[in-house]
Amino acid sequence: MSQTDKSVAIINACAPFSQANAKDSLDVALIFGSYEQTVSLYFQADGVYQLIAEQQPESIQQKDFLKTFAALEFYDIDNIYICKNSLEQRNLPAKFCIDNVQVLDRDEFGMSLLQHQTILRF
Amino acid sequence: MHVGNFVKKLAFVITTPPSSNLTATAINMITAAIKSNLNVIGVFFYQSGVLNGSEHLALPNDEYQAHLEWQKIHSDFDLPLHLCATAAEKHGLTDDINDQKMTNINNAFTLSGLGELVELNVNADHLIQL
Repeated sequence: MSQTDKSVAIINACAPFSQANAKDSLDVALIFGSYEQTVSLYFQADGVYQLIAEQQPESIQQKDFLKTFAALEFYDIDNIYICKNSLEQRNLPAKFCIDNVQVLDRDEFGMSLLQHQTILRF
Repeated sequence: MHVGNFVKKLAFVITTPPSSNLTATAINMITAAIKSNLNVIGVFFYQSGVLNGSEHLALPNDEYQAHLEWQKIHSDFDLPLHLCATAAEKHGLTDDINDQKMTNINNAFTLSGLGELVELNVNADHLIQL
């Protein structure tokens, strides 16, 4: 595969366990990462619930794929952004299950997306 | 759309089932792009989008036949239609029913890994998801 200077943004806008979107999105992110593509993750709307720590998906018969977020750095996925407005609307603290999450207000969030050539949304 | 002799290359990601109007929009957009002499290099079907590849869809005659439109696009323009293999299995689509090499996937579609999506993104100027 040829090298590319394209970067990919993956927007996550669904809660982690309501549909399969969050898991499907993470699978895509890891594949792009393993092919050494530049990937950034964005979380907005109900997608912000994906980064909340200490969830117990086993109690609703779901596999805890959220722990895979801790492995993102091994795929060189270091740019992880979350929408401040979406957090505030849901009264969620800026405490996340991984360390390097950058909180952006709505305008910064939108501007940041502009730098990418490909945007996928789940 | 043309920059010198350079023809833009497009690829599409479809995550919606045949019953979704987003799928109809994607089909219209892809057809228009091809007829405008843009180079559509492939379509990747992910999530519920893989249902477009089912051989056994039977929609009422007076409804939009999304699956037949895909088959027509494939035969008219030789456009590669990639079904995500994992998503296909999750949706009951397989080319090896009961380990007997029987298929319930229409032959316009090819089973591919997620790596194909990466390839399409690398090779296309624009990857479009509706």
